[in-house]
Amino acid sequence: MTMPLALLRLLILTSVILIGALIWRPGITVSRGGKILAFLILFCLPVLCLTMGFSNELERSKSTEFCLSCHIMEPYGKSLHVDDPSYLAAAHFQNHRVPAGEACYTCHTNYTMFGTFKAKMHGLRHVYVYYFTTPPSPEKIKLYEPYNNRECLHCHESARSFEQGAVHNADPDLLPAVKSNQRSCISSGCHEVVHNVATLGNVKFWNGGQ
Amino acid sequence: MLVGNALERRMQLSGILLILGLLVETLCLAWKGPLAFLVFAGLGGLLFFSGIVLYLLSLVSVRHRQE
Repeated sequence: MTMPLALLRLLILTSVILIGALIWRPGITVSRGGKILAFLILFCLPVLCLTMGFSNELERSKSTEFCLSCHIMEPYGKSLHVDDPSYLAAAHFQNHRVPAGEACYTCHTNYTMFGTFKAKMHGLRHVYVYYFTTPPSPEKIKLYEPYNNRECLHCHESARSFEQGAVHNADPDLLPAVKSNQRSCISSGCHEVVHNVATLGNVKFWNGGQ
Repeated sequence: MLVGNALERRMQLSGILLILGLLVETLCLAWKGPLAFLVFAGLGGLLFFSGIVLYLLSLVSVRHRQE
């Protein structure tokens, strides 16, 4: 749950004013009512602001804009606009198969119990590599582990186009192998063109319908 | 600036730390880069934590003295 940003700012402003008043007139905490007020101002409000702020930051870190704010990720953002349906990431982004505002996160988080936590830990490592070491060139960036079909199946499993697709059913062993992650969706010759940032100089880009 | 008895002084110090934490939070809300998250979680979290703990400790220590 995230609080609208304007409401969070209002809460912060209110807290600053109330804490400021308490610093200015600490004598108001002498009475019983004043002590309760001080508890609300110096404990409850800050905890609320911190929780809401943290929740807001976590939500923002899922946004496409956030991921692409590192220059090293720019080619990956550009690959979402390639005018070629064989580019898997572009096809998903342009056809709204993933939310445009959370395009990176939707495919690059693990759909497991601690998937979001793991994604955040990877994000912290990215920040460290980006700011404190020599980051690799965009085309040399690799996934930590082979892409798991689970992330694709999170949306595609049970979808009619996936279950009854002619290519998927040409070989009766294919779908069970894909569902058990024995045959990769993206690295077994089926959907292997994903971002391909090294080839972006030779492709056309879609202008987003404008 | 810090006036009054020990409890009031500690509450004032706690308030100052919390206001600094809130200012860091406001700055991070306006700052869109990935570092904002780290600054908020690190510096902001530390200021909030220090402020709240100092306030709670001041309550406990005063009660202890009264006993």
